[in-house]
Amino acid sequence: MPKPVLNTTNLFIAFQYLLTRKKQSILATLGVMLGVTTFIVMVNFMTGVNDFLDDAVFNGSPDIIVGATPDGKKKKQNFGTAIHALAKVEEIDHFLENDQNVSSFAHQIISPAILISTTAQLPGSINGVFPLEERKMVDLDRRLLSGKGFKSLLQGHTILLGVSLAKRLEVVVGDEVNMLLSNGKNMKLEVSGIFSFGITTIDNVRTYVSAKTLQKLMHQENKITNIHVKLKNRDDVALKTVLSENFKAITTQDWKDSNKTIVIGNKVRDILTWSVSFALLLVAGFGIYNILNITVIQKRKDIAVLKTIGYAARDIVFIFLIQSIIIGLLGAVFGTSLGYLISYIISTTPLDTSDFIIVETYPINFKLSYYILGFLFGVITTVLAGYFPSKKASRVDPVTIIRGI
Amino acid sequence: MILEGTHINKYFYDPDKHQVLKDNSLQISEGELVSIYGESGSGKSTLLYILSTLDTDFEGQLFIQGQDIKKLDSTALTDFRNKHIGFVYQFHYLLPEFNVLQNVMLPALKLREKSRVAIQQDALALLDEVGIAEYAHRPSYKLSGGQQQRVAIARALINDPTLIIADEPTGNLDQKNTDIVFKLLQNITENRGKTVLIATHNPKIYKNSTRTIEMIDGSIRL
Ligand SMILES: Nc1ncnc2c1ncn2[C@@H]1O[C@H](COP(=O)(O)OP(=O)(O)O)[C@@H](O)[C@H]1O
Ligand SMILES: [Mg+2]
Repeated sequence: MPKPVLNTTNLFIAFQYLLTRKKQSILATLGVMLGVTTFIVMVNFMTGVNDFLDDAVFNGSPDIIVGATPDGKKKKQNFGTAIHALAKVEEIDHFLENDQNVSSFAHQIISPAILISTTAQLPGSINGVFPLEERKMVDLDRRLLSGKGFKSLLQGHTILLGVSLAKRLEVVVGDEVNMLLSNGKNMKLEVSGIFSFGITTIDNVRTYVSAKTLQKLMHQENKITNIHVKLKNRDDVALKTVLSENFKAITTQDWKDSNKTIVIGNKVRDILTWSVSFALLLVAGFGIYNILNITVIQKRKDIAVLKTIGYAARDIVFIFLIQSIIIGLLGAVFGTSLGYLISYIISTTPLDTSDFIIVETYPINFKLSYYILGFLFGVITTVLAGYFPSKKASRVDPVTIIRGI
Repeated sequence: MILEGTHINKYFYDPDKHQVLKDNSLQISEGELVSIYGESGSGKSTLLYILSTLDTDFEGQLFIQGQDIKKLDSTALTDFRNKHIGFVYQFHYLLPEFNVLQNVMLPALKLREKSRVAIQQDALALLDEVGIAEYAHRPSYKLSGGQQQRVAIARALINDPTLIIADEPTGNLDQKNTDIVFKLLQNITENRGKTVLIATHNPKIYKNSTRTIEMIDGSIRL
C-alpha cells in the first residue's frame, strides 16, 4: 500500500523550496493576486452597472408595450397631432389575463404636452395612469425623492415629475405647473411628488398624472393609448408576437426593442469583464508555469537525489504541485481581499453625474458568488499551470542526472 | 545472500545499439566489503545503478534480500530502495535548500518509521560518527567536498539499510579525505555488519576490501 503523498515531509520540502526562492514565489503570488483582483473589481463594477441599468430602465419601463397602429396615412409625429386610441381594449385585456407569463398590466393614456412654470416652458411626456394599477407595475415609492407616490394622483389635480424636469422647471413639491395640451386645453396641476429613475432620458421628460384627468381634458373619455405589460419571465417575449398575430391594429414593443443600447452595453460589459480577467489569469498562469518549469530544470539534480533516497514519482509531483497550490491560494486570498477593498473604495467614490445616468457613487455589485468564483478561478489556474511542470519533474530519470553530476 | 544478480546484460541505444554489460552474474553476502575496479568506461557505474535498483531496464535477474526487483512497480521500488539501500555518489550531492541535519534526515522522513525527534537523534548520532556534528545546522553547501561526502554517507545510513552502494566515493577527494571516507565505509561493515559495494579506481581501497572484482569491458572477473 503506497503511503499518502500529503504528509509533513513532502510539505516541508515544498515549503523549503518556496522559501529559498522568495522573490519568485512572491512574484508568482502577486501575478495571481493581480488576476483575481482585476476579475473581482471588474465583475463587481460591470455587473454593478448592468444591474443598475436593468433596475432603473426595466423597472421604470414595462416589458411589453402595446399601442395603436397609426391609422391610414402616416401622420407626422408632430406636437399637436391627436392621440391614437387603442381599439379592442377589452379583448386584449382578456387575452392578457389568460396568459401564463403576464405578471401584471396597466392602461395608460400618453400624450405630449408643454409644462409651464413661473420661470420655464418645457415639453414633457405625460403618462396618464390609473394609480392603483400602475403601482403594481412601477415601484415608484423607491424612486421618490420628495412628496408622495401614485396614490396622490387619485385627487385628480396633481402631477408627479421626473427630477431633471422639475429642476429645469424650478418647481418643488407643492408648487403649481400649468399643463398645455395639443388641443389647446390647459390645466393647473399641483406637484405632489418628484422621482428619479437615475436615467436622464426618463428623468428629463417623464411625468405622471391621473388617466381620468387627462382623458377628460382631451375629450377622450375611457380611451387609452397603451397597455403596459410586466412579464414573469422577462426573457420570454413570445407574447409580443402572439399579440400582434391576434390583434390587427396594434404595435407591440418589448424591452429589448426599447433598450437596445442598454442590452448591447450589458453584453459588451460582460464580454469585457470575462475576457480581460481571463487574459490576466492566463498571464499569471503562464508566469507560474514558467517559474515552476525553470525550477524543475534547475532542480533536476535535487529531484534525482530525492528519487534515489526513496521519494517516489508521486511524491515529486506533490512537492511541486503543492507549491503552485500554495501560490494560488495565497494569490486568491490576497486577490479577493484587495478586490473587495478596491471595489469598496470605488463604491464610495462620488460620481460626476453624466448625461446618461444619475447616481451619487459608482454602482458596485458585491455578490459573494463573484468572490467565490474569483477565488476558484485563481486556484484552478495555478493548479493547471503547476501540473505540467510537476509531471515533468516526476519523470526526471535519476540515472541520467547522476551520471552527469 | 544479500544480493544475487544473474546473467545481467545491459544495452544502450544511443548512438546505436551497443552492449555495455555482458552476462554478469555475482553474489554478495552480508558483511562483505566488495570493490569493483576497472578502467573508466568499462561499465562499473552502469552495473551499480542496476544493482542499486535505480536502473531497471536490463536483461537478467536481480534479487536483493530475496526480493525479485523486477516484480516491484516504480512506487514499491522507491519504497524498497528507501528502506534497504543506501547510495553514495562520486559527487556527494546534498540538497542546498536544506541544512546538513535536514539532508541526513530526508530519507528517514520519507520512511516514516520513527518520530521526527527520534530521526533527528539518529541523524545527529550519525553526523557525530562521521565527524560533522558541529556543522549540523549549517547550510549543506557551506561544507567542503570531503565534509559533504561524509554527510552523504550519514544520509545513506539513516534508514539502517543492509546494503550500501558507493560509486567512486573518493573520486573527487584528496588523500586525507579519501582515507577518512574509506575508514567510515570499512567501519560500516566491521562495526555494523552492513554490506558495502564500492566502485573505485583507488588501489588502496580495493586492496583493503574483503573481496575485489575486476570489470573489463563490461564483464566482471570474480
Ligand atoms: N546513457 C548512455 N547512453 C549510451 N551510452 C552510455 C550511456 N551511459 C553510459 N554509456 C556508455 O557505457 C559505457 C560504460 O559506462 P560507465 O558505466 O559509466 O563506465 P564506468 O563507470 O566504468 O566508467 C561507456 O562506454 C559509456 O560511454
Ligand atoms: Mg563511473
